[in-house]
Amino acid sequence: MSVLARSVGNAFRNKVRTAAVVAVLAVAIGLALAMLVANQAVAGKVAELNASVGTVLTVNPAGGQGFEGGGEPLTAEQATTAASVPNVSTVVGTKALRLRNADAAAAQTGGPGGLGGQGGPGGQAATTLTTSLTAAVDAGTLGARNQASTGTSGTSGTAPAFSVPITATGIGAEVDTTGKALELTEGTGLGDYTAASTGALLGTTLAEKNGLAVGSTFTINDQSFTVAGLFDAGTAFGNNALYLTLPAAQTLAELPGELSTMIATVNSMENVEAAKTALQEALGSDAADVSQGQRNLESAVSSLGSVKNISFIAFVAALATAGLIILLIMVMLVRERRREIGVLKAIGARNRTIGLQFVLEALVLVALGSAVGAAVASFASGGIASALISSNTATATTVAGQRGIPGGTPGGFPGAPAGGFPGAPGEGPLGGASQLLTSVTASASPGVIAAGIAAVFGVAIIGALVPALLTARIRPIEVLRGE
Amino acid sequence: MIEVKNLVRTFKSGDRTIKPVNDVSFELEQGTLASIVGKSGSGKSTLLSLLGALDKPTSGDVLVNGVSLAGMPDSKLTEYRRRDIGFVFQQFNLIPNLSAVDNVMLPMEFAGIRKAVRLGRARELLEQVQLDPDKHVRRINRLSGGEQQRVAIARALANSPQLILADEPTGNLDEQTGEHIIELLSSLSRDHNTTILVVTHDRSLANKTDRRFRLQQGRLTEEGARNRAAAGSPA
Ligand SMILES: Nc1ncnc2c1ncn2[C@@H]1O[C@H](COP(=O)(O)OP(=O)(O)O)[C@@H](O)[C@H]1O
Ligand SMILES: [Mg+2]
Repeated sequence: MSVLARSVGNAFRNKVRTAAVVAVLAVAIGLALAMLVANQAVAGKVAELNASVGTVLTVNPAGGQGFEGGGEPLTAEQATTAASVPNVSTVVGTKALRLRNADAAAAQTGGPGGLGGQGGPGGQAATTLTTSLTAAVDAGTLGARNQASTGTSGTSGTAPAFSVPITATGIGAEVDTTGKALELTEGTGLGDYTAASTGALLGTTLAEKNGLAVGSTFTINDQSFTVAGLFDAGTAFGNNALYLTLPAAQTLAELPGELSTMIATVNSMENVEAAKTALQEALGSDAADVSQGQRNLESAVSSLGSVKNISFIAFVAALATAGLIILLIMVMLVRERRREIGVLKAIGARNRTIGLQFVLEALVLVALGSAVGAAVASFASGGIASALISSNTATATTVAGQRGIPGGTPGGFPGAPAGGFPGAPGEGPLGGASQLLTSVTASASPGVIAAGIAAVFGVAIIGALVPALLTARIRPIEVLRGE
Repeated sequence: MIEVKNLVRTFKSGDRTIKPVNDVSFELEQGTLASIVGKSGSGKSTLLSLLGALDKPTSGDVLVNGVSLAGMPDSKLTEYRRRDIGFVFQQFNLIPNLSAVDNVMLPMEFAGIRKAVRLGRARELLEQVQLDPDKHVRRINRLSGGEQQRVAIARALANSPQLILADEPTGNLDEQTGEHIIELLSSLSRDHNTTILVVTHDRSLANKTDRRFRLQQGRLTEEGARNRAAAGSPA
């Protein structure tokens, strides 16, 4: 017979009472766990939404984006200015180039209309270069239409087979044009992105189309480049692209110090709005356009945030209740067993042995309560979470509707040949946000349940420690009470 | 060897102080079987609780083999109760939801003795107090009063104490069973050379002990001593 065995035995001394205590504990613990599951599910969603809203600001030349529009190009000095704006943690410059297959370009030059200019109206045609690479995307209807609208000046007649250009971007860090870290599937990065090098990162489909692997070489304007790595952007368009170091791209374009865009990362979500204004002011509205990614999710994030807070408060309250139940039960048991505690002391038990026995007994009760409570929570948490969220979504939708927050599809990649006009916002109140809200799934993951039970045990130990310490104050003479 | 020196214990009840132990002094040689008789409320239990360190005296001292209990820290007093003292109570005071063997093993567990050793010794002791082997693993609340008191005596012997303090051990038993218990205590004190101090109202039981004390209003007096064996007390 050990202390533990004695504690287990004591926990079952009065079976009816044990069952009642376990039932009450199970309700409190079950509620705590359900609230924790809901809280975690919502927190996960909030993090996801925050990540999609992002902390990235894009700076374009005023009046221009990519190969569209006009205005003065951005400069390295402006990048320095941007970097010194408060809350802007990093600024990455990019230089976009359009590459055309050398053979296709040669064929087209002879044709009617010629290669009048790949740039947009008043655009930046100077940066179109030739390459040995073939685009991984077929022109198709959209390509041909884009070609007709942006290319030749109204020539009718037989247009030759048109090939889609390849976007090459010089980058100042290992990020894509939206500021997201590049996902390399093979090879390595380009090392120092601020120094000229002959390395290049290719999209997976572009590399495949041209039969290139890491270590292969290709040319841009007769200059040889080596494939240093492959990346997967996740889209057919994104993968028909390649990245060079910023100086390499600037050298190819013969425009040193000139930037197409700057990607500014803000240190936190809360500061994005302020940083955007500050950045716009610092650069001047006649020189730069500062834009932000999706903004329609903010209300969704804030309403989910309140669900998160409510569920957390409920979790703490239920946890405290469980602790209180244990405290009261143990105080009662200690009072009831005063004489027995006196006996144990009379026969030489140390205070800590007796205290440990009572704490263990409390933990046996909590373990039983947790087992039943976890079962209850795994059934109830889904319902609880969706009830919490649906009541909050109703409010969010109303608010969002009144504000007329635009939702829907995010703008395509600036200058995307197949992506429509950049930043064209879809209409409709709240858009995808309400769907995001209802898509919160509160499944009781073992990890969260385990963390919740750990918290329950932590609170139970505190709840049981008080009565266990009370046993230390019971004097051995209690054994003679009532004799 | 137990020496009791000018032991006093007072209680305040309201504005009145009572002195159930009033300047008590005596000595007991190792292996003596002694008894204390006295009316109810004369302070017998209070005296025993002071000797067994269940309670602390208002003044005076108890010396166990020359070591003073006065001023001993609580942890040392716990160790003293565990190692040097065995208690036998009128109400038996066993742990009701444990078996006989588990009850006897308890003081050994507190003393840190290995489980296998505890079990062997507990069974041996239960045999010595003549508890039927088939009742060794029976829960305490399913044993008779006499059987429970045998278990209690086995528990008191568990850590081979120098002194067994028995407070009216036969008080809840019928006459015949009580006699057996006293005989048991008597033979144990002989076999184990354990000093036993037994409180009883029963004259005939008291007459079977080596030394007989009487407690009256907190004052202890010794009645005509009788030597049971060669080893004993001064006449
Ligand atoms: N904790 C206490 N507080 C107050 N009075 C006490 C306490 N313990 C014992 N007494 C009193 O001391 C006297 C002696 O009690 P006790 O030693 O139990 O007598 P006995 O065991 O001889 O019957 C009684 O009057 C009793 O009421
Ligand atoms: Mg008494």
